[in-house]
Amino acid sequence: MKVVNNLTHSVDGLGILKGRAAYTDDLADKNSLIVKVLRSPHAYAKIVKIDSEEALKLPGIEMVLTHKDFSRVPFTRAGQGYPEPSPHDKFVLDEYVRYVGDEVLAVVGSDLAVCEEALALIKVEYELLEPVLDFEKAIDHKSIIHPEPEAHEMFPIGFEPLRNIAASYHMHVGDVEKTLSECDVVIEETFFTQAQAHVMLEPHTVNARMDYQERLVIYNSTQTPYHMRRIISQGLNIPLSKIRVIKPRVGGGFGGKQGIHGEMLVAYVTYKTGKAAKMVYTRKEVFESSYTRHPMKMKVTLGADKSGVLKAIDFHCLSDTGAYGEHALTVFMVVGSKVLPLYNKVDSVRFYGDVVYTNHTPAGAYRGYGAIQGNFALESAVDMLCVKLGMNPIEFRQLNMMKETETSPIFEIMGEGTAGTAMIMETCKLEECVEKGMKLIDWNDKYPSKDMGNKIKSVGMAIAMQGSGIPYIDMGSATIKLNDDGFYNLLVGATDIGQGSDTVLAQIAAEVLMTTMDKIVIYSSDTDLTPFDCGAYASSTTYVSGNAVFKAANDMLEAILVEARRILKSKEVEFDGVLFTNELGETISLIDLSNEITYSEDQKQLSVTSSYVGHKSPPPFMAGFIEIDIDKETGEVDIVNYVSVVDCGTTINPKLAEGQVDGGIVQGLGMAMFENVQYSKKGALISNSLMTYKIPTRVDINNLTTVFVDSYEESGPFGAKSVGEIGIDTPPAALANAVYNALGIRIKTLPITAEKILLAIKAKERN
Amino acid sequence: MVKQILPKNLSEVLELISKEKYRFCAGGTDMLIQNHNLKTLPIDFKDNIIYTFNLEELKGITEDEDFITIGASESLESILENKITPQILKDTILQMASPAIRHSGTIGGNIGNASPAGDLLVPLYLLNAIVQLQSLKGIRSVLLSDFITHVRRIDLRDDEIITKIIISKINFDKHQFVKVGPRLSDAISKLSFLGAVSFHEDKVIDLRFSFGAVNITVVRRPEIEAQYIYKTKEELKNSVDELLEKYSEYIRPIDDQRSNKEYRKTVALNLLRNFIEEL
Ligand SMILES: Cc1cc2nc3c(=O)[nH]c(=O)nc-3n(C[C@H](O)[C@H](O)[C@H](O)COP(=O)(O)OP(=O)(O)OC[C@H]3O[C@@H](n4cnc5c(N)ncnc54)[C@H](O)[C@@H]3O)c2cc1C
Repeated sequence: MKVVNNLTHSVDGLGILKGRAAYTDDLADKNSLIVKVLRSPHAYAKIVKIDSEEALKLPGIEMVLTHKDFSRVPFTRAGQGYPEPSPHDKFVLDEYVRYVGDEVLAVVGSDLAVCEEALALIKVEYELLEPVLDFEKAIDHKSIIHPEPEAHEMFPIGFEPLRNIAASYHMHVGDVEKTLSECDVVIEETFFTQAQAHVMLEPHTVNARMDYQERLVIYNSTQTPYHMRRIISQGLNIPLSKIRVIKPRVGGGFGGKQGIHGEMLVAYVTYKTGKAAKMVYTRKEVFESSYTRHPMKMKVTLGADKSGVLKAIDFHCLSDTGAYGEHALTVFMVVGSKVLPLYNKVDSVRFYGDVVYTNHTPAGAYRGYGAIQGNFALESAVDMLCVKLGMNPIEFRQLNMMKETETSPIFEIMGEGTAGTAMIMETCKLEECVEKGMKLIDWNDKYPSKDMGNKIKSVGMAIAMQGSGIPYIDMGSATIKLNDDGFYNLLVGATDIGQGSDTVLAQIAAEVLMTTMDKIVIYSSDTDLTPFDCGAYASSTTYVSGNAVFKAANDMLEAILVEARRILKSKEVEFDGVLFTNELGETISLIDLSNEITYSEDQKQLSVTSSYVGHKSPPPFMAGFIEIDIDKETGEVDIVNYVSVVDCGTTINPKLAEGQVDGGIVQGLGMAMFENVQYSKKGALISNSLMTYKIPTRVDINNLTTVFVDSYEESGPFGAKSVGEIGIDTPPAALANAVYNALGIRIKTLPITAEKILLAIKAKERN
Repeated sequence: MVKQILPKNLSEVLELISKEKYRFCAGGTDMLIQNHNLKTLPIDFKDNIIYTFNLEELKGITEDEDFITIGASESLESILENKITPQILKDTILQMASPAIRHSGTIGGNIGNASPAGDLLVPLYLLNAIVQLQSLKGIRSVLLSDFITHVRRIDLRDDEIITKIIISKINFDKHQFVKVGPRLSDAISKLSFLGAVSFHEDKVIDLRFSFGAVNITVVRRPEIEAQYIYKTKEELKNSVDELLEKYSEYIRPIDDQRSNKEYRKTVALNLLRNFIEEL
């Protein structure tokens, strides 16, 4: 291979470095009206009265929008599949506000200053309601967060709004209780995870204008442009054909842009007034009023026999979706479906629980959703079971984990929001990942720990799996067009959000067409111009959209060969990417061929479109190993090294693949030990700025050792699986296990801060 | 509209502040954040402002036999890079903010801001730093520990400006600065500790401790330090529990977003113990 799996520069790196207009707000109409939202100061309240008379008098104020301006059409802001598995429980504006930061109303004015001035003049009277702030007390709480009759589910997801349940789920294989009762060793432990924030660099940004065909054109920093167009159409009752969504370069999403935020209001203003409008979230709004990761409480019961064979897993999960139910069920199911199959030899397994509403910032999609929470609980619990068994945790995993050509009944039972798809692991190099990782971290020398005086050195590890798109749901497509002068346009619906999919997809096309990257001009995510794609989520782009590009490029190859055979009057034509040669040795170059069919003879446009929908979702696997030094005086943890050994199939772009894993590890470490989410007693988010919410910086991460094992997934483009999420899963459990290996202290609530470690040391000393 | 002045020299500043109230902006790394406003201009000063970052009279790092004098507008970066700067200050600056902030932030600003978590204050208290203030009426020198009166409150008259910081030239046999923050870069201290000691023929001749972010301002107790002068190293080590108990009374941290009191207090005392035990 010449392009795939070779060092290839990003298609957009240089232009972005040079500061070319690339991002959504770079492209806003200079005269855009500003749409600014008044945010609720209360966790739960009914709006009794809005007095905006004074505000409307301000010169420059165009309008004040309240719930009275919108028809009551409930929708879900989640952009993932249709029909949507998330409850339809959100209105553009409502007479209830359900969390601190929720939308009360919006002012529309000529600039931000006048909008702020107007917001200060508007008087809102609220009737305060008792908020539900403890998700363990949400079910059957006397406050009901979604009493409105319009809220509904599109198909059964266990939606019981009157009990504050957004979704619920239950599955089992075998009889867990019976198996557990027969086990020699059983542990039962409960774990908690926090509402991690995405902290993408570019805040949520949208702008809109009417074009000269009277169509609504929306520029949007989104991960799911096609879902966006549909949700806006349904929510505002604008014909789909009247809307065009363009996704410019996106400055990071991590799942936080897999849903609607300011889009409805901006689209409404432009459609109603005919004037351009825009909204850019402040950092505070990104923290308080977009999405977080779902906080969870997970009770894990494991049972094994004396020889260390895992027999049963019982997993109960309570998930907090906050004020609205985006991705409530899908995230919940992934806790089970992308974690439990790791230990596929159990006799019985049960996974069940509820997703509840609370009056906190809504939770939504976030890289590795469900998987990172489930992995923390299960991989911590496995180490705890090993302590009780007196068994080395790596030997335990080697005995019990998934191996190549094996399967798990869970694949068939659990999908994302619906039933799943049975599949055999054609590629699973987990054993090799574990072995290599042990060497790279020098496990045998360092496990469990070494006392170094003031510091203790230790190691810990965890294994993980992810998926590659959602089978039978995620669809990607690609159009390839041959131009005169012999270069191609590659049009994809797939959504580059900074992860580099434009580069990776262009590489796949270039490889099939035997050409170089400069001959592939990629354009992505414009609902008028590019073919459909479900968007950037669920680790789907390289596998699903990549397969679509692979097919389209092969179809294009076929189409140009047809032309070459005609021109060279031969049935046998060979092509090397530049030159066509027939059996007589006669040749024509691709440039001449393309010029001929464009300008001189039998003219035509060669263009092909292909689609791909996965019939399976081959999981990437990895083993993550952490080496830490813990300071006994302060409880501080230094990350000395993080070793990731990854099986993601072929790395189409090795640099970008490494970047995906490294980024995932750092974000996972953020959740594991830095990102402390704090609420006030009244439910306001305290950690709502980059001053108060600390993500790790370069100096906190000493060394990342990231390697890929040889692996070739037959069903993927050039053997690729996915790599976008797998990196984030292991850090919380690996760290918790390393802390235990150092101190004999088990921390079961994230993040694992110096405070928790030190106070646990003190408590241990007292006992 | 507030006035914003970029003065040519110190006398212009003294003239201005003798007539009207101004606030100073040196590196602006506290001021710009405290006056950040998204609604109007990015920076929305509420008071008249004099920019002091380029005043020559507030620059320079010089030494004589006994003292080192640092201009108030010297940046943390240039103090860090200067040969004259004592290691104890360098060790602290290295753990402050990030290279970009250290490029702009100044020593005068760290003092003027008077935050309980101001890191540079910790070695400055330890070194008995003197703050030199100037007005049209003349020069006034105040001990830093007297100058800072409370959280974010300083003994600065409206007609005065900080011009210099003067520290005595002392070499310790051993010193150790430890900053505990939520992460390693660009993070405000949860707490910090600085210990310094010198011996002569195995007897303590100088012993100092200061603690940051565990009280309304830096904790330094010379009267406790004095009790251990002329003790042998062994005696000092043996009295570590007693020493901890004496400091315990003054370590009175709070619960806030960054940490909690129990953690802060435990760690502050652990660091003190560790410093003594490792002598
Ligand atoms: C990202 C970030 C990280 C930071 N990390 C740290 C850290 O780790 N440790 C730490 O201690 N601080 C930290 N800070 C705070 C800040 O950088 C320091 O306090 C710095 O020393 C302030 O200096 P300045 O020149 O920027 O002050 P300015 O913002 O210009 O001024 C601060 C105050 O001092 C007054 N002032 C300035 N000069 C004079 C003068 N000549 N006379 C009288 N009053 C004066 C001002 O009026 C103002 O009240 C951080 C800040 C940021 C933004």
